Amino acid sequence: MSDARERLDAEILAWIAEDEWPAGDAARDDARFDALARRLFAWQFEHCAPYGRFCRGRGVAPERLRSWREIPPVPTGAFKEIDLRCFPEDATVQTFLTSGTAAGARGALHLDTLALYHASVVPSFRRHVLPELSPGERARLWILAPSPEEAPDSSLSHMFGVLLGELATPDSGFGVIDGELAVDATLERLVSCEDDGAPLALCGTSFAFVHLLDALVARERSIELPPGSRVMETGGFKGRSREIPAHLLYAEIEQRLGVPESHILNQYGMTELGSQFHDSVLRFPGEPRRKLGPPWARAMVIDPETGAEAKRGEVGPIAIFDLVNTGSVLAVQTADLGRAVEDGFEVLGREPGAEERGCAIAADELLGSEAP
Amino acid sequence: MKPAEIDARLSALSEAGETLRRRPAHETLSVLAQVMDGWSDARSPWRRDLAEQLPPATGFSRETVEAGLERALDGWTGAALLGRVEREIGSPERLDTPGEQMIAGFETTAVLLAGSIPMPSLLEIIAPLVLRSPVLAKAAARDPVTPRLVADSIAHFDAGLGACVDVVDFPGDDAACMQAFLSAECISATGSDETIASVRARVAPPRRLLVAGHRRSVAALGPEAVAGDARVRACEAVAVDVALWDQQGCLSPVALYVVSPDGDAAAVVAATLAEALDATESSWPRGSIDPAAAAAVSRERAEAEMRAAAGRSVRVFASEGTAWTVILEDDTSPRPAPLHRFVRVVPVAEEAALRSALAPHRRHLAAVAIDGFGAESAALARALADLGVSRICPVGSLQSPPLDWPHEGRDLIHPLARGALLERPRG
Repeated sequence: MSDARERLDAEILAWIAEDEWPAGDAARDDARFDALARRLFAWQFEHCAPYGRFCRGRGVAPERLRSWREIPPVPTGAFKEIDLRCFPEDATVQTFLTSGTAAGARGALHLDTLALYHASVVPSFRRHVLPELSPGERARLWILAPSPEEAPDSSLSHMFGVLLGELATPDSGFGVIDGELAVDATLERLVSCEDDGAPLALCGTSFAFVHLLDALVARERSIELPPGSRVMETGGFKGRSREIPAHLLYAEIEQRLGVPESHILNQYGMTELGSQFHDSVLRFPGEPRRKLGPPWARAMVIDPETGAEAKRGEVGPIAIFDLVNTGSVLAVQTADLGRAVEDGFEVLGREPGAEERGCAIAADELLGSEAP
Repeated sequence: MKPAEIDARLSALSEAGETLRRRPAHETLSVLAQVMDGWSDARSPWRRDLAEQLPPATGFSRETVEAGLERALDGWTGAALLGRVEREIGSPERLDTPGEQMIAGFETTAVLLAGSIPMPSLLEIIAPLVLRSPVLAKAAARDPVTPRLVADSIAHFDAGLGACVDVVDFPGDDAACMQAFLSAECISATGSDETIASVRARVAPPRRLLVAGHRRSVAALGPEAVAGDARVRACEAVAVDVALWDQQGCLSPVALYVVSPDGDAAAVVAATLAEALDATESSWPRGSIDPAAAAAVSRERAEAEMRAAAGRSVRVFASEGTAWTVILEDDTSPRPAPLHRFVRVVPVAEEAALRSALAPHRRHLAAVAIDGFGAESAALARALADLGVSRICPVGSLQSPPLDWPHEGRDLIHPLARGALLERPRG
């Protein structure tokens, strides 16, 4: 790793290590973010050849950049076809892969260090999911996702593995074994929480929660998790369970697990990013639900007609600018639509490319394979 | 709207149908022919109303709607309808008189409409009426206009026949209303694969169900259309096919295959098509689109830019904003079709490669527009028909399907009929 990159990583790590998380736009250190983002962009412009050419094609170069908001975001789809790394291939220490799609291609995030990734996961989770946790204190976590050993390519499993190691009590664990929800083991754990009265943070994929709820219905069971328990769901359904809107999912969770909606939150993250965003409900109880991120990451809603930042409140694709992505590209355009609100944003769903408009279907897979 | 109201409307239609069936079938047919003549006349009040009302309802520009209607309905006359009826069911007397091969319409037909293109709605409402089966149409969310105007036009020519058409409007996810709607004896449904699957799950025999899933079309230029004036003419024609209805119909080409051993031919065609789409934008402006659709266009452009930046032979030709896009691809990998005047130009070295590239899409291909294949055209058309393509036509005419086109590869009217065989005593 070059000296310049090492200095950048060190400065970002230092920022992550600080425990200052000012609330609200005005208090956020935009100048610090801007300076680091522009330096990191310059580094990536130079060291990730496809990205550099992409930016030049758009007339963007480090010396002409006026703000981090002008950094061209790479669409997530590009991670499926293009090697986006700023380091030699043999320096790769970890590759995370996205979930499979109908077309079969999977996006890849290559990393030459896990230091930033690990450093950023814990404070972000602690702030948004376990905000009342004292320094050094641990919490009981039950994870409805495979362990990192079972799913070594999954950034989600990796994240949960890190969280269990850093934040969890010994009676925490994973509730997905061999790719299936371990219903009996999970129910056993939930009942033991119900019995001993200590709160639980139940985290996992959205579809795993659906499977759990379906299992509870099938067994005509309901659990009343102790007060202070919370649920964090993430990752969407990916066609692996029935799909239900978030508000209905949360209502079912409240009904079957006894966790009120005020303690249920969504984590917004993706393989292509090192940082995660979370619903604000536990960090700022009583305030409107919105997505908040750590100080070293920013979300920007884009006007798709111009490529510039959309006006506040207007709907557009969400781009994430994440300083943790030092080895790949820091600016990523997601396939989600959102709207900027207050100090955060709302996710309005995946670009409904499949919205029916004529008797054709938008975003249908066009060439070479059957539509899903 | 409540399910009980839908039940009541179906009952009323059923009664109106009884009255209608006391009249000779040829009389109904004659009225429907007048209706078709009315729709093919640009000066008719329904055409004028449609041109007025469709743009604000769908987002299409007025210019695009007027041009689209003119080209689509030009040959959709009463005579054309009568010709199709004759070809499909023979004499309308089969609906009236005893005979060996009798047919009858169903007591009621529910027509589930989809999309924002008016012509399919017109035909799908008229087809059951040919058989004197009253129609309850559910308007598509994106086109609440056309079915009501069609109903008005029918009532204008014949009040009794007009009483046999009704239009309902309820959200597609209203399960109770949908169940009531689908209680008709015959159902004709158009929609996405998900919609069709949902309808199939609710309609059991002996009720008749006819479905039309989503389709796509493509264009292909052969060696004789990729150079000189022929290339310019062909690209202008493809631009017409793309621009009309803003690529929202199943007859809109989403890709242009360039069949040539010349490795540079596709790039030149892509540039020419881009010029043609740019010129088209001034005469038929692309309509307004929602942020989601615009986001899909911008994302696909960015992904293509990234492939180009990674050293692939990919090029992006695009307007300011999202009005039109041409992507020169370098392979036949599966890629999304964001529509709204977004075309991928795909090079293939030879005709056999074209057939191979299209084969995986056989279930969803509606039409293929071709040009420049010379003496090979007939063989190519045969091969495309074997793939399941229901229409092969010259470039520039995709949006002008003849009334006789076997949409979905099948008849329009005959599948909506019940047949009855009269056997004479033997000996």
